[in-house]
Amino acid sequence: MSSKHDILNALKSAAIAPQSMPVIDISPRIDDLIGQFETSLNTVAGTLHREGGLAKLQAQVDEHIAQGMQIISMVDGVKGNREVTDTAHQLRDIDYAVIPGDLGVAENGAIWVNNKNLGHRVTPFICENLFLVLKASTIVANMHQAASRITLESGEFGTFIAGPSKTADIEQALVVGAHGACSLNVYLV
Amino acid sequence: MSTSNSAVHAHKAEIFCKDESRVDWHSKALWLLREKRDRAAGSLPEWEQLRQIGSEMKLHTLTHLGQYLEEFEQNCIKNNIQVHWARDGVEHNRIVHEILAKHQVKKLVKSKSMLTEECHMNPYLEQHGIEVIDTDLGERIIQLAGQPPSHIVVPAIHLKKEEVGDLFHDKLGTDAGASDPLYLTRAARAHLREQFLSADAAMTGVNMAIADKGAVVVCTNEGNADMGANLPKLQLHSMGIDKLVPNIDSAAVLLRTLARNATGQPITTYSSFYRGPQDGGEMHVIIVDNGRTDMLKDKILAESLKCIRCGGCLNTCPVYRRSGGYSYNYTIPGPIGIAVGSQRDDTNSIPWACTLCGSCSYVCPTKVPLDKIIHHHRRLKAEAGKLPYGKASYMPLVGKFMASETALNCSMSVARIALRILPGSLLKPFSGAWGKYRELPVAPNSSFEAWFKKNRG
Repeated sequence: MSSKHDILNALKSAAIAPQSMPVIDISPRIDDLIGQFETSLNTVAGTLHREGGLAKLQAQVDEHIAQGMQIISMVDGVKGNREVTDTAHQLRDIDYAVIPGDLGVAENGAIWVNNKNLGHRVTPFICENLFLVLKASTIVANMHQAASRITLESGEFGTFIAGPSKTADIEQALVVGAHGACSLNVYLV
Repeated sequence: MSTSNSAVHAHKAEIFCKDESRVDWHSKALWLLREKRDRAAGSLPEWEQLRQIGSEMKLHTLTHLGQYLEEFEQNCIKNNIQVHWARDGVEHNRIVHEILAKHQVKKLVKSKSMLTEECHMNPYLEQHGIEVIDTDLGERIIQLAGQPPSHIVVPAIHLKKEEVGDLFHDKLGTDAGASDPLYLTRAARAHLREQFLSADAAMTGVNMAIADKGAVVVCTNEGNADMGANLPKLQLHSMGIDKLVPNIDSAAVLLRTLARNATGQPITTYSSFYRGPQDGGEMHVIIVDNGRTDMLKDKILAESLKCIRCGGCLNTCPVYRRSGGYSYNYTIPGPIGIAVGSQRDDTNSIPWACTLCGSCSYVCPTKVPLDKIIHHHRRLKAEAGKLPYGKASYMPLVGKFMASETALNCSMSVARIALRILPGSLLKPFSGAWGKYRELPVAPNSSFEAWFKKNRG
């Protein structure tokens, strides 16, 4: 007998009577979504740039390029100095990645990023620093609203990113910048 | 008794308790997490509603698990994900090894998975010549130190920064005497980047498996799961059958409580959904039972499978905080460790590593009735004739004694008189372990029964 068969068979003698699925009906906090989002993003160690949009971001990118940084941009209208590489591993020296976010979540500062816009899936993790671009109109109140809007087609990868990578594994001291990006700046457009 | 006393919870805790300042430090570090959790929970008006929905949703899934597992498998296959089933840890390890061997994998980067710890996968793969690198910083620290995790979310919580500094100096060549967490974390970042970039395959645990999408969700703060899974072409995910949720909406409920209850964060830094391999890659999911279907056969034990492994019950537990993670004789310590590990505990002592205070059940984001489950384990041990040494001999006598009113009243009055007239030093030996760190009580003038008759009767 296969293990699958054994496991499914064993489940037939489970002791609890079938329970119904609860209704998830939680009223969202819809006042000042951008303000809520900014507060949450600060809590997770990210920074929001409300004004200036892509022009401000491009100026920032240009400044970094002038300092010799390696920047890859996956956002239309922002120009870096690196293109998508043949292999994911070749992104190891990227200093900044500019990536579009699909939606933002006010309650926790998370931004949904889909692999359609990443070149390689590892781009937002392997870069030293991350710039995310987010349309203000895509900010939703909570995870329930986000769940109903995220797209995740067959074969895809998507991730909620809430701030830069961090750890507190050494004596509970918070250190920003573990394996993923060491900083996160979000530009609202 | 086949097991030596040294393995019994109380004895192992005693070893941990020898260093009193460390116990205080450990307890405080974990309580800090509990306080952060309270603030995060308190900031959501719908917190209790989320706990209730989380609990009902998990119960619903567990009571329809066969159906959801099959749905999940079918959808995974549609997404080009290869699914494997393992009855136990041995089969799990064999499957993992077969996949890795087929691809001639020499180095595997692993993101924290308590399931692979439960299956003792690392030593198995290492025996077969595969290097396994744990990539969560805490996991890497204890791997370098040759220790198992002492907590399910913060696995190196028992180590001080100076100890990590010495370890890194020894293994990674950091400066001697350096103990700054920022410096040490940066050194680990550089070291682990090289591992990610040179690995042939990646493996992660699974926080949630979404049945109707055929996708797995992995949550980390460091990004190690994603750095791992998205570099090499081969990715593996190990999951217990209890990780299933019906859909993305239910995953969203748990994503709202998981990190808040674990560390007080509004959400983990990365909550990643994998619904298929990367271009030209392979993605495998290994679905593991390893005793879970047995637990489902017991109405009370079944509820422990609602657990989402946030670690909140460990942080609040007064026993865990003062006895350390290594005193539980199981990979998973604390209240949830007792709930899911008691049946494998050959010392039969861990169900008593609990005061039944109920704090764990109170903080649990899916309302696992932990104190009820732990109490139930004591009953199961007694019924199986497996009470720990000591309890097996005196508990039946205590039962008989307490059932007899005359015997109880008589001895209580003797005890009251003794407490009043005899010196403490003479009486203390009779109080056993109870009196070791406590003063003897002041004897009341009369029994409660007499007091009640006089005042309220």
